[in-house]
Amino acid sequence: MTEKLPRSVIEPKNPRLNVSRGANLPHVPGIRVGDYIFLSGMGPIDPRTGERNHGPIAEQIRTTLSNMQHMLESAGSSLERIVRVHVVLADISHMAEMDCVYREFFPVDPPARTAWSMQLRFGNGCEIECVALAN
Amino acid sequence: MRGSSFGQAVSTVVRGGDFLFVCGLTAVDPQSGERVRGTTASETRKILINLKELLEAAGSSLDKVVKVNVLLHSMLEAPNMNEVYARFFSDPPPARTVCGAHLPDGAKVIIECTALA
Amino acid sequence: MRDVIAAPLSGLDLRQHYGHHQSPAIRAGGLIFCSGMLPVDPETGERRHGTLTSEAHVIFGNLKLLLESAGSSLDRLVQVHALIYDSIEYDVLNRVYRQYVANGPPARTVWAAQIEAGFKVELDVIAAA
Repeated sequence: MTEKLPRSVIEPKNPRLNVSRGANLPHVPGIRVGDYIFLSGMGPIDPRTGERNHGPIAEQIRTTLSNMQHMLESAGSSLERIVRVHVVLADISHMAEMDCVYREFFPVDPPARTAWSMQLRFGNGCEIECVALAN
Repeated sequence: MRGSSFGQAVSTVVRGGDFLFVCGLTAVDPQSGERVRGTTASETRKILINLKELLEAAGSSLDKVVKVNVLLHSMLEAPNMNEVYARFFSDPPPARTVCGAHLPDGAKVIIECTALA
Repeated sequence: MRDVIAAPLSGLDLRQHYGHHQSPAIRAGGLIFCSGMLPVDPETGERRHGTLTSEAHVIFGNLKLLLESAGSSLDRLVQVHALIYDSIEYDVLNRVYRQYVANGPPARTVWAAQIEAGFKVELDVIAAA
């Protein structure tokens, strides 16, 4: 008998970070299923205003990862429980700067990561997605 | 459980629940960690040789891989990648998605996967 | 335990039709990991190039067939990577996409990527079994 894992929606405590709801988009901020949390890709949104932060890439990475921390903590998880990260950059030359900020958030036993560059929407410099353990 | 890290910001293999999550691999010499540059086919081969070692060291294997994501610097190279790839994954092969993107550091191919622990 | 989900119709067997070394989907740990789904005819495997909208309809139809054959459904999607050939079609993608995920959409990340055979869209999904 195949196990049927329960599936539930994750939302951030800070409603300004709920981009799907705010912009009426056909996705949710995250889904919890079994042991895992799958988050939608996150961009550099200022958590105080809900506006996009289009400063230097280091600031955008810092904002995005801080928001990711908030999202996971809203769901009872944490950055330490992340198993995989996808970092997409609009500009491949930003890899080193991204890495510099990134490692501040994952100082010990960092998750698996794949990083590459693609065209991003809204002028965002980065989009970051992750899979984490729920507890 | 985290696998060995090259470059402190990334763990190569991470155990979580039933699965091992392997980071995006580029073609590197496993001893020195130096990038090995070649054709898409030769880089694919190098990556998959390394992947086999990594999975086996973590108590898994290529047979236990459930899903692979392949990023190519150009989709024109997909058949070249596929020809090498087919030699590493026996029947029945894992699920896979292949797409083209801008890869860091001149890499021609990046392969990431999820495997049963 | 790793189960292969075979193609419910032969058109969805991309290995047979195109030599892609992949299974349509793999079930493990209560999840179903699907290979990137393309707009191919589910009976014949022929490419169904069209607009992003028409291609997305074919893809969702194929995913529905595949997931239902495995005892799952589009309502059980947990994560989607929506590959589009150009982010200019983002709104077009959303318009068709939302028709298929009305009962509780999954997490999603949109990738503006180079897709095979000049297709405009591809969906890479994970569903709960």
